[in-house]
Amino acid sequence: MKKYLLASGAGLAMLCQMAPAFADVSIMYPDWMSALVEPGISNFEAASGQKVNAVKMPGDGYEQRVAVDLAAGTAPDVVVVDSFMVSELASAGYLYDLDDKLAGWDQFKYYMPGLLDVASYDGSVYALPTDTDVRMLWYDKSVFEKAGIEMPWAPKTWDDVIAAAEKIKAAGVENAFVLPAGTKQGEAATMQGFYMALLGADTPTDDRNRLRAWDKNAWIGDSPALRRTLDLYKTVYVDKELTPASINYETDVGAAIREAISKDQLGILASGSWEFSCLWDCNGINIPSAEERNATLGWTPWPGSGAEGAPATTNISGGWTLGVSAKAADPDAAFGLLTSIFDKDNFAKWTIGEHRMGVRTDITESAEYTSDAFLAEATKLAATTTGRDTYPGYAKVTTAVQEATAAILDGASVEDAIAEYKATLEDEFGAEAVITFK
Amino acid sequence: MERSTHSPMMALALSFVAVIWISPFAWLLANAFDTSANGQLRWPQTPGLGNFVDAISGEAGGQFVNSVILATGTATMTVAAAAGAAYGLSRLTFRGKDAILWGLVLLRMLPTNGVLVPIYFAAQTAGLLNPLGVMIALTVLNLPFTLLLMKNFFDTVPFELEEAAHVEGASLWQILIRIVLPLSRAGVAVVWFFAFTGAWNEFLFPLIFARSEAVFPMSIGLYSAFGQHGAIQYGFLAAYSIVYAAPAVGVYFLLRRNMNTGFAGVGVKG
Amino acid sequence: MRSQDIRPWLASGGPLLFVAALPAILLVGVLLYFTFWALAFSFTDLETVGAKAVNWSWVGIDNYVRLFTRKGFLESLWVTLQFTFFSAIVGQCVMGFLLAVALRGKTGRLRALVEVSLMLGWLLPDIVAAFLWSATTSESGLLNQFIVIPLGFDPINFRNDYALTVVILANVWKGTAWSYLLFTAALDSVPREVLEAATVDGATSRQRMWRIVLPMIRPHIATNMLFITIWTFTYFSLIFAMTGGGPGNDTRVLAIFLYLQSFDVHKLGYGSAISVAMLVIVGGLSLIYLRLLKEPK
Repeated sequence: MKKYLLASGAGLAMLCQMAPAFADVSIMYPDWMSALVEPGISNFEAASGQKVNAVKMPGDGYEQRVAVDLAAGTAPDVVVVDSFMVSELASAGYLYDLDDKLAGWDQFKYYMPGLLDVASYDGSVYALPTDTDVRMLWYDKSVFEKAGIEMPWAPKTWDDVIAAAEKIKAAGVENAFVLPAGTKQGEAATMQGFYMALLGADTPTDDRNRLRAWDKNAWIGDSPALRRTLDLYKTVYVDKELTPASINYETDVGAAIREAISKDQLGILASGSWEFSCLWDCNGINIPSAEERNATLGWTPWPGSGAEGAPATTNISGGWTLGVSAKAADPDAAFGLLTSIFDKDNFAKWTIGEHRMGVRTDITESAEYTSDAFLAEATKLAATTTGRDTYPGYAKVTTAVQEATAAILDGASVEDAIAEYKATLEDEFGAEAVITFK
Repeated sequence: MERSTHSPMMALALSFVAVIWISPFAWLLANAFDTSANGQLRWPQTPGLGNFVDAISGEAGGQFVNSVILATGTATMTVAAAAGAAYGLSRLTFRGKDAILWGLVLLRMLPTNGVLVPIYFAAQTAGLLNPLGVMIALTVLNLPFTLLLMKNFFDTVPFELEEAAHVEGASLWQILIRIVLPLSRAGVAVVWFFAFTGAWNEFLFPLIFARSEAVFPMSIGLYSAFGQHGAIQYGFLAAYSIVYAAPAVGVYFLLRRNMNTGFAGVGVKG
Repeated sequence: MRSQDIRPWLASGGPLLFVAALPAILLVGVLLYFTFWALAFSFTDLETVGAKAVNWSWVGIDNYVRLFTRKGFLESLWVTLQFTFFSAIVGQCVMGFLLAVALRGKTGRLRALVEVSLMLGWLLPDIVAAFLWSATTSESGLLNQFIVIPLGFDPINFRNDYALTVVILANVWKGTAWSYLLFTAALDSVPREVLEAATVDGATSRQRMWRIVLPMIRPHIATNMLFITIWTFTYFSLIFAMTGGGPGNDTRVLAIFLYLQSFDVHKLGYGSAISVAMLVIVGGLSLIYLRLLKEPK
């Protein structure tokens, strides 16, 4: 009996040892990033002779997978995370501080500082951004024509947008103004919907138009900007019923939107720069030429609310990042894989081919980039962009935001939704860390 | 079985039920046989088998094998563990037996999302982040229900047969092999089917346990029809799900005859 | 009944029985470990990421108090109760029973057709079933194209206005197969002689059903209801895929609420408290079924 136990114990131990030794460096990435990651992997393998254990994950369940992996320490060496998670992960010690390694990489100097901020925590860079994006209002030109709205469309305030949406609704279009809401779309609802409105709802002084008052080191539980934003949601979904709430909860929201557009049942869509490809096919397969796309859809920057002191247009940028796990067995090799993926040629090819917005000046100032009309225009919006309030704890705040919009969809009053939002924040962070603006 | 015919009303009602149950599949079929499917319910624009070809090529073959291994492994492990203990539970009487049984069922009431993290940590510590680990995790989660099912089934097998065999001098081992196991074929079939289909459709555990793509079962392969911002390939999705569900349906028909008697034992509470 | 406590052939087979039961005992031990883990961490503020992933602390019953003072739990509980009652008890159980009765003793193509239809519903992966039902209830889907419009109405956006109903229907469609199989076998186990004797005595088929069949299969009904209540109460994947809990919070069942708390907001401690609370509630429901089950032998 003892021998048997010993043998199985040894066998088990061997199995444990075997697992990491299969490959020298490991990476996990969602499958929509394959075009960027896979060439980088093969280049790295060719150059270094090391094998890379790459796992391509489906998009669904990715959150659960990443969460358990990082918490248990089984995450791969190189890991793809959304930029807003970087500060949380870094503060828990899950990510490797890249400052030293980046100092020795000659391509690092081209990165735009503002965009590195988002992937940093406490002054150090913990991940490298893959791309950035800007957000705007897309509109269906044929629907606008039917509704008799002048094009190119250039709304100046929220009232202009609502007025246009009402005309579209009157023309019999079902989804007059798609403003992302609710918890199903996660971060997309916060960024494309809530934040875009919030930033234009009040003056930037003292961070009144944000979720966090940085100078005061506190989250904002109640403010005129928050209330105006929720009121906008109420107008769109409840008071004027400009769009059915269910579009936010479809089994496949992107497909539902595409279907609505193809049936001329969508007027205005609050979304981002990736839609220039993604409204047809994100991987760029079989999409119509740029002229054809411009003939179907137009876009305009998000206007501010028109309130006193509010910005004229708003924009917020996000993006994904690649970082190195703090538990990587060989950080140098992991970093080598990282730089191989982000090597100028590979990175530029992906950025331009997929119409992503570049994060490095050597790419954004290149001839190919500037010759892409859409990218050139969209990059102008990036001049006045900002990032999310990615302080540790942001994940809870953004969920509370989404739940507030869901409550509005359910028929709650703005007063109640705000009270609930504030109570959630206070419950989470303590009353001292939450302030109210009058 | 008495062979009676249905009254016309009944036949009509039943046909109606069958139609209602099957009609949602119209969508599945319409998209599976349409190589330019886009997720709407419409007559196939370009009918063809292209989607099916896509569905079974590439990694699907390997994933199919993984699914088969995972499902049969889990089912067999579950049956072995459950039957082994259920017999004793059925035949022995001791204080607290009821409490143990209902306690087991109570354990299972914890939702999977609630125990996902500790299961993952435990598997990682034990070096079981692989298909075997998934099988064990699924067997553990199956156990309360399957123990109860098998025990209830054993309850309906009259012990007189065992008594008679004992009187004739058979040992416990012989009684188990010669009498109990053959008679319990039905209960075994039920539990095996239940565990098989559960594991066949399992997505979450294989996803979070897998350390490489080589061990992905078909349930994960299904998701390659999606992208994050990308368009869903509905044709592939529909064809793939048909190919994916077919073996499970096949298993049902294989076991059907065995299972009928099996289910009768389920409800009796000892 | 002392002398019958241990059947004679078992007395000498102690070790064999023990060895046979060993795997199960070990695995149940593992399950107990997970359960206690969830229970223990429900009293902490553990999170999956952030500072609290490493520096968590005990918070006593705070998480449980939060269940009642913060929004979300009670509303989700109400949605879950509605969902469970209508789809499991009214839908699957009753449908399964009716179908079993209607097809009892019959053979032939109609029965095979009904069975295949039911089984297909059950065996289809949840995500695909979600798409199926999304398509069926969409404005260009089956329900609208073949029922609503021919009747002269405007197309109805079912998933906007009747989300919970749609989800209930989808679950009934998916799960009835189990109840059907159970009841078929249960009805098969009613001895024919008893029924024939009753017919000879002049009982109508309705009386046969109420006086004889139903009481005889009462334990089956109770057990079935117990199982499907537990499954439905904790059901996650189909609903999440179909509606993600929305629109608004219309279809947010407890399992989805739990998922959002554990993985979106990363609050594992609170998530564990929700799991334990769900366990307690379902445990309470099962006690009710136990009462149903306690019939005089």
